[in-house]
Amino acid sequence: MSSETTPTVEVQGYELALDRGYEPATHIWALVVSPDRVRLGMDPLGVETGGALAQLALVPVGTDVRRGEPLGSVEAEKFVGPLRAPISGTVVAQNSAAVADPGLVHRDPLGAGWLVDLAPSDLDAERALLIEGAEQVVPWFEHKIAEYRLKGVLAE
Amino acid sequence: MPVPDTLRVIDFGRADALRSQTLWHAVAHGVSAGEPPTLSFVRPAEPYVCIGYHRRLEEVDLDVCRARGLPVLRRMVGGGPVYLDDGQLFFQIALPVAAVSPNRARALRELLAPAVEAFRSVGIPAQLDTDLELVVGDQKVCGHGAGQIEDAVVVVGNLIETFDHDTAAAVLAVPRPEARVELERLMRRYVVATPGDADAFRDAATRAYATGLGLRPARGSLSAFERERLSELDRQFGDPEWVRGPERPAPDVWQAKVRAGVWVLAAEHAGTAVVAGVARGRIEHAVVTDADLNGATPGVEQALVGRRLDDVASVLGDFGAPGERIAAALARADGSRL
Repeated sequence: MSSETTPTVEVQGYELALDRGYEPATHIWALVVSPDRVRLGMDPLGVETGGALAQLALVPVGTDVRRGEPLGSVEAEKFVGPLRAPISGTVVAQNSAAVADPGLVHRDPLGAGWLVDLAPSDLDAERALLIEGAEQVVPWFEHKIAEYRLKGVLAE
Repeated sequence: MPVPDTLRVIDFGRADALRSQTLWHAVAHGVSAGEPPTLSFVRPAEPYVCIGYHRRLEEVDLDVCRARGLPVLRRMVGGGPVYLDDGQLFFQIALPVAAVSPNRARALRELLAPAVEAFRSVGIPAQLDTDLELVVGDQKVCGHGAGQIEDAVVVVGNLIETFDHDTAAAVLAVPRPEARVELERLMRRYVVATPGDADAFRDAATRAYATGLGLRPARGSLSAFERERLSELDRQFGDPEWVRGPERPAPDVWQAKVRAGVWVLAAEHAGTAVVAGVARGRIEHAVVTDADLNGATPGVEQALVGRRLDDVASVLGDFGAPGERIAAALARADGSRL
C-alpha cells in the first residue's frame, strides 16, 4: 500500500496514488521525490496483467536510460518482458528488496514494490506526457479497465 | 498496429548450437521492425545447454558441460536451464507485440493453443493444463518459453522426439548428489518424449498457427535486416559476458523445476540437510541427513511424504531436535520463483 499520507483514489477496486504520473502505454508510474530524484514503479494494471512475477532484473545504478528504453525486465509464466522508462535519466538507486523478492511488486506496487530511482534529465518535458491528477487518472484507468475487460485481458 | 495477412514460415532445418538460438532471435528483431508474423522451425545439430534470460549461470554444472563438450548459451526468453539436442524439433512463433494480449497468461494460452492442435494432429493427445504446460496426462511433452524482444513477442516450444533424462539432469548444478538423483527421478516421471512424425508436426503447426491467427502461410527466408541482426546476435550470444548474465541474488534454498508444480529442493539448517521432490505442493520423496536421527531417518523421510511444505511441523514434532531442524530447513523453501 502507499503511505497513509499519500492521496489515493480507488478505481473499480484498484487503488491508485494521485501524487504521481502514469505512463499509459507501459503502466509504469513516476513519482517526483525531489527535483533531482524520480521514483518509478509498476501500476496495478501492469502488475495484474503481468502475472505473478518470478524474476525481476533492473539496470545497474549509474546507467543512463532514455524514455522508452528498458530500465529492466520481468518474468512471469516463463514470459520475459521489458520495463520501459517513462522518464529519461540516470539510475541512482534500485530496489534490491524487490529484485530479491519480486512478489513485493505484486503485494505493494505503489509503495515498497518500487523499481528504481532516477536523476531525471528532461523532467519537465517528459512529465507532461504522463497522466496526472484525479481528473485525468480516473477516466484513463476506467477506460483501460473497460478496454481490458472487453478484450478478455482482465477477468470480469 | 494491423497484423499483416501473411504468416511467414521459415524452416531453418538443422543448425549448430549458436545458430539454433540466434536464427529465431533475429526473426523476432525482424518482426519487431515490420516483417510479418513468422513461424520458424529449427533442430539443433549438436547438443548444448541453454539458460533462460534471468537465470543464474550457477544453475548450470559448467564442469559437466565442459567434460561432455556441451556449449552453454543464454536465450532472451524465460524459463530455466535446459538441455537440447537433435532429438528435439523447436518451433517459434513471433508476432508484433500489439497483436498479443497484454495479459501474459492469456497470451501464452492463445499462442500455445495451435501447438496443442499440432501435437494432436500427429497423434499425441496433448492439452494445455492450468499451469500452462503442454502435457499428456500429468507429463510434460513440450518445453516452452516466451519473451518480448523489442516490439515482437516470441513463444518457443519443442516436439520432444527423444529425451535424454540422464544428461538433462547431469547438466544442472546441484548442492548434493541426492538432489541430482531426485531430479532425474522426477524428470523420468514427469517429462516424456512423444515421438511424432516431425514433418507432419511442422505441417500441422503451420496450418494450426495460420488458422489460429487468421493468416495465410507463405514460405519465407530471412530479410537483409535479419541477416544483419543475425551476425550481431552471433557475436552477442557468443560473448562470455552475455552468457554469464547480470549478477543475480542467490536463492536462500537451492531449487530446480522439472515442470510447473514439480520441483526439487535441497535445504540445510544447523547441520541438517533435506532433499525433497515436491509435486503439486506435496512432498513426493525426501532424503534427510542428520547425525542425531540415528535409526529414525527412514521414519522421518516417510513421515514427510504426502505432506505440504507448510504442514510439515505437525509430523516432525515427533522427532525432537532433528525434526525441528528439518522443519526450519524446509521453511525457507519457496517454489513460487521457479
